[in-house]
Amino acid sequence: MTATTDPRQFTGKSQLRTEDARLLSGHAQFLDDITVPRMTEAAVLRSPLAHARIVSIDVSEAKALPGVHDVITGADLAAVAGEQPVIWRPIPDQRIPTMYALAVDTVRWVGQGVAAVVADTRYIAEDALELIDIDYEPLPVVADLDDALAPDAPRIYEDWPDNVTGSLTITQGDAGPAFTAADVVVSGSFRHHPSYGCPIETRGCIADFDPYADRLSMWTTTQSPNLARELLAQVLGLDVSKVRVRTPDLGGGFGMKFDFYPEDVIAALLSKRIGRPVKLLEDRRESFFASSRSRDMRHDFEMALTSDGTITGLRGTAYGVMGGAFGTVGSGPPWASILTSMGPYRIPNLELTIKPVLTNRSPYGSYRGWGVPKGNLVHERLIELAARELGVDRMDIRRKNFPAPEEFPFFSGAAFSYDSGRYADCLDLCLQAVADAAWEDRKAAAAAEGRSLGIGYGFHVEPGAYGPSRILNLVGLDHSGFDEVCVRMDSSGKVTVFSGQINMGQGTHTVYAQLAADGLGVPMEDITVVTGDTDSCPYTGYGTGGSRALPLGGAAIINATGRLRAKLIRIAASMLEANPEDIEIDSGRFFVAGTASQGVTTAEIGRAAYRNLNGLLPEEETPTLEEVDVFDPPNMTTSYGCTALLVEVDRETGQVDLLDCIQAHDAGVIVNPMLADGQLAGGLAQAFGGGLYEEFVYDEDAQMRTASFMDFLLPTASEIPPFTFVHQETPAPDIPGGMKGLGEAGTIAGVSLVGSAIDDALRDLGVAVDEFPVTPPRLLALIEAAQEGASSGADKEGTR
Amino acid sequence: MSTRTTVRLTVNGRAYESDCEPRLTLADFLRRNCGLTGTHLGCEHGVCGACTVLIDGASARACLTLAVQVDGVEITTVEGLAPPGELNTLQQCFREHHGLQCGFCTPGVLMCATELLKENPNPTAAEVRRGISGNLCRCTGYDAIVRSVLAAAEAAHENSQESVS
Repeated sequence: MTATTDPRQFTGKSQLRTEDARLLSGHAQFLDDITVPRMTEAAVLRSPLAHARIVSIDVSEAKALPGVHDVITGADLAAVAGEQPVIWRPIPDQRIPTMYALAVDTVRWVGQGVAAVVADTRYIAEDALELIDIDYEPLPVVADLDDALAPDAPRIYEDWPDNVTGSLTITQGDAGPAFTAADVVVSGSFRHHPSYGCPIETRGCIADFDPYADRLSMWTTTQSPNLARELLAQVLGLDVSKVRVRTPDLGGGFGMKFDFYPEDVIAALLSKRIGRPVKLLEDRRESFFASSRSRDMRHDFEMALTSDGTITGLRGTAYGVMGGAFGTVGSGPPWASILTSMGPYRIPNLELTIKPVLTNRSPYGSYRGWGVPKGNLVHERLIELAARELGVDRMDIRRKNFPAPEEFPFFSGAAFSYDSGRYADCLDLCLQAVADAAWEDRKAAAAAEGRSLGIGYGFHVEPGAYGPSRILNLVGLDHSGFDEVCVRMDSSGKVTVFSGQINMGQGTHTVYAQLAADGLGVPMEDITVVTGDTDSCPYTGYGTGGSRALPLGGAAIINATGRLRAKLIRIAASMLEANPEDIEIDSGRFFVAGTASQGVTTAEIGRAAYRNLNGLLPEEETPTLEEVDVFDPPNMTTSYGCTALLVEVDRETGQVDLLDCIQAHDAGVIVNPMLADGQLAGGLAQAFGGGLYEEFVYDEDAQMRTASFMDFLLPTASEIPPFTFVHQETPAPDIPGGMKGLGEAGTIAGVSLVGSAIDDALRDLGVAVDEFPVTPPRLLALIEAAQEGASSGADKEGTR
Repeated sequence: MSTRTTVRLTVNGRAYESDCEPRLTLADFLRRNCGLTGTHLGCEHGVCGACTVLIDGASARACLTLAVQVDGVEITTVEGLAPPGELNTLQQCFREHHGLQCGFCTPGVLMCATELLKENPNPTAAEVRRGISGNLCRCTGYDAIVRSVLAAAEAAHENSQESVS
């Protein structure tokens, strides 16, 4: 008999975070808090035009300014560095427009870096930027998607036939006949305008190049230290071992800090040139041009159904509004949007096309949700239109098309196999919570006062735990998906967990400590978690993105601690002259069942394994107490949820107020309920920002009109509603521990949800929201069009 | 531009004196000249609130204040809320109610909430939401921050009742 004490003393309970004290007291160490000896500071000069040829650059005056150490241009950089890597290439034969970290002859978006200055301080570096003289020859601008697709569109690359980078169609079954035979077809053109992850801490790095050892040491705000190390080595022509990447505390990441940015390369080269460390931090304004733009897509899709509400087909074309060059993940997120466009529904016939198209906007990149929020728009907006058209309940039609729990693993028809699910149970959980909250009563009471309240619903799936390495390679990723963890107990019996994942606010260190403590049977305070240094931490494929940290890192910790626990038991049994099968563990004490007072502690075992081996450590045991585990998942995880949102719409102003939000969620085994709810709430708040407020607005010259927090509106505490979460736990069958990724749930669920709630508030008008964010002018236009349609009696369909 | 001025001020009860250019912001003075990096910069145009400090007890944006403007005043930053190694009631409540995730906006939120609770020791949830609406948080969705501030108000209320009885 082995340990009889509850192996789950910490897992499943809302443990307080180990990270909090230093963050609450001003003792955290974010990138800009770090100063290294002899450090200098840099700034980047950015293009004022969206498309232009660089005729000449004169940096002599800038170089002469006292306090300036060096100035670098694109030509200088391209002479010694490679192009910025594009790691996602999921579309066969696609044209991949690459770039150098600084523009060489041509700028292709406003804000593209053209030169950089390094000086004693950032203040002086910015002074020097104003002294750089550049002569631009303007070129015709492609400001948006329609411009880019026009037959006579200016070409972003002269040697390309047009601005379309390529096209990929994924099919399952035969969509054509399904649509011909359909009783009902509903369609829509769904536009999500551009936004970005927008962590409150902007990006930055400190590069320190040692010219004698030919070694680069970087502090950088990345979610993917191993990837950053590989790509820095690749671009700079260094051996991987000659690059060290460290991550300080991250002030939010949201996927945006997953990508590999030009500034890391620029700072590294400047450091090499001047022989001193260089800090390069983007300011807020720069972040709108220099950090990944996301969400920018249009989906023209249609859904076929039989009269009883069974979905028989889904087809359409998605356009990714790409920038003037590709960022690290290329057109990965737009591609992922079509892969998830069938959502939680069983749809036998699919024909899904993705077309990434170039514009003179900044590079497209990662943001929490990674394409899936727009896949969600397709299936959730269309199913609500279908319910309306068929005159059936919008929840019944969802329920009707779910795969049953026994059908899992369920192949979605396009790439993903959903691992486990009880979708109908989750939907019922949500409906019950909404009934308990008496929202229908609130809605009716408001209607009696002439006010328009609406209840929105949405069902989402979230692919997480990206992913089986060989499959990721197969679909076009030039990186892996496994995760490596090292668990080491030291000579005092305390434990350090080393991981290649990073901590950016989601509480990785806390949940890892919970799992390690339970895995070894020791107190949580005995665990130290170390992340964020490629010299001392193990390798993680990809990075901390794709909802990987808990399911993959957690699984590796469970595996490693399981083996280490067995070794501890063997050593303890030897010391106690007992059989390993008879050893029990309680809070770091190992004892023979029934003799708790006579056991040995982890401190004694540690001493035996490291210092006083003779007579204590069994001859057949290797000294030290350390286990490494590499976990490459056999399948991804698919968490899911049903979310409800109560809104009030002001028909006079087009203003939407968010009143309350309830989410029923299933992410398998929950390790820390308090942190899980925090992830769900934060994601939903971001989605409500994207659904109602946040937008990069461009004019006809592709100049951004919203490059400040005065114009790019992040929601505040006054806009975001309170949240209620209810959970069910259907374990992930392929992940030791049963956890599923959940960090992207809210951003995936929340945008279509806003549309559903507004539609419900304006049900009498037959409004169907299809463009996000739903700003007051956009909503007023919809309301006015619906009212005109109703008065003229022309709009009989009512679905569009 | 190179003219330098001497600024003397008190931060968290300790006197600081430093030469600086007139264009140096208070935020950079605190971070660079005083070594107090708990005050963070999220936008440098006065919207996000991460750099909120108390100037003679009143909340202000350290990014929009020049160091030379506050010569002689008393500043409180997040480092001044509790002695090293300790957390005050408000900070404890943020920990217990998960009122922070990445922690970058948190110092500004704490300083704003400190002023809020001083002016209104028993706020409603709606008053807390209004009170912190000048501080952007990208992680939490705000609900947990509201609960943290309400819990701090309640804890302070309980403490004062205990000391009365």
